[in-house]
Amino acid sequence: MKIEKTKTMNNKNSAHLPGLIWTIIRTDFKTRYHGTLGGYLWALAKPLSMFAVLYAVFSVIFSMDPNYNLNLIIGLFLWDFFSEATKTGFLSLQAKTFLLTKTKFPPWIVVLTSASNALITVSIFSVAVCTYIFVFRRPLSLLEISCFVFYVFLFSLIIIGISLAASVLFLRYRDINQIWELLLQAGFFFTPIIYPLNIVPHKFHFYLYMWLPTAVIQFSRSVLVKGEIPTITAHIMLLSGTAVVLFAGTALYRLLAPRSLERL
Amino acid sequence: MNALEVTDIHKSFSVPTVRLDTVREHILKGFKLRKHFRKYRELKVLRGISFTVNSGETVGIMGRNASGKSTLLKIISGIYQPERGAVYCEMPITPILDLGMGWNPELDAIDNIYLLGTVMGLTLRELKTAKDEILEFAGLQEFSRLELKHYSSGMAMRLAYSVAFRAVRGLLILDEVFAVGDMEFKERCYKRYEEIHQAGYTVLLVSHNPLEIERFCDRAILLDGGKIVQKGSSQEIAHAYVQSLTSVKTS
Repeated sequence: MKIEKTKTMNNKNSAHLPGLIWTIIRTDFKTRYHGTLGGYLWALAKPLSMFAVLYAVFSVIFSMDPNYNLNLIIGLFLWDFFSEATKTGFLSLQAKTFLLTKTKFPPWIVVLTSASNALITVSIFSVAVCTYIFVFRRPLSLLEISCFVFYVFLFSLIIIGISLAASVLFLRYRDINQIWELLLQAGFFFTPIIYPLNIVPHKFHFYLYMWLPTAVIQFSRSVLVKGEIPTITAHIMLLSGTAVVLFAGTALYRLLAPRSLERL
Repeated sequence: MNALEVTDIHKSFSVPTVRLDTVREHILKGFKLRKHFRKYRELKVLRGISFTVNSGETVGIMGRNASGKSTLLKIISGIYQPERGAVYCEMPITPILDLGMGWNPELDAIDNIYLLGTVMGLTLRELKTAKDEILEFAGLQEFSRLELKHYSSGMAMRLAYSVAFRAVRGLLILDEVFAVGDMEFKERCYKRYEEIHQAGYTVLLVSHNPLEIERFCDRAILLDGGKIVQKGSSQEIAHAYVQSLTSVKTS
């Protein structure tokens, strides 16, 4: 039985795609925050209030660490980026049913743009935290800032890999996002966000770093707070982990996506 | 010259007799006896559909509900994948399907014009110059900044229609879209459609209305049970469609 694909000019015409990506990002932002600064501040309020509560409680316990507050807020914002972006990624195709069943355009655009709101939030935070460190702590070198931007970029690739797979799996298993939320809850405590990594016995560090958010958060803290660039080996491990997640997510998406729209 | 060539299209859907949609249900299924496992029923929607459309021609598709018309259009548009067979089209396609559902109700008319317009293949530059014309055609200039959740369904449909007709490229696919708005708006749409037809666009038109098929189509095909049961002039097919409805009623 020979199966042939649909071959039309629609598959080749891509002049409108940049405009489409921009419009989806802009309208998603507008829908979520009603296009106001006040609305947008709500996005910052969640990690900031979390920071206030956790700082009040744990700064007493970890009072010997002078960088505890900075490490905590970097960890919280990066975790919030990961958590929010992947949760939106799970529902991304479902949320855009009204467009995807209308006409032919690459569904991966919807998955990709689903992380945009979380990316905007983490970008604003990054500028704020770098400015704070520069003004009140120590001058940041260009290399340190570049490393931090690189880690956020790798984090975005990890999120895209997870979201690509999750978006098509969600259409088959409608409760998988609830399972992911449970994993995120466990992951929050597994990742050294509210506690310093050095309170965990060294022999367990490898396992903590296998969970990629740990690596991204620790590396970011290292370059921003301590001014220490992680080793080449550490970078290779992070890059390999990112490549595996992105490749696996893309492969699963390519396998399941062609018939996924029939499930919308 | 063939603008569209549809060759031996087959499509079926696996319809579960018991629908399992969650991980929990799939796990619980594992604990049940084999006879209770989910069974699938193969629903054949299209069975070997083949036809061609020449450049600049309007071809009508008629058929009773569940005859496979909408699935066929989604396969031609590239939204669904065929199980077997092929679709070749040498020009860009503008599908206008399910017009009433293509909106974000939380956004105003202008943002929705940008959203649906870019999805349908228009660039931002084209939309910037066309948005006033789109609003004017829909007669909704004074409501341009009103969120769509406050629109009546008729107003939303008029807007959808206006965007879709502005986005027309090589092959236009219309699925039951003339059943929109009041008589005045319908006449405006007919007129716009005739302009498109005269401009040489190729059109595939699905309709249950024999008068529309006779008025707008050069020829037509009749679908039944996922197969083409008749090809011919638009008058012949419109007549055959009415007869098929009458015979079902009589029997």
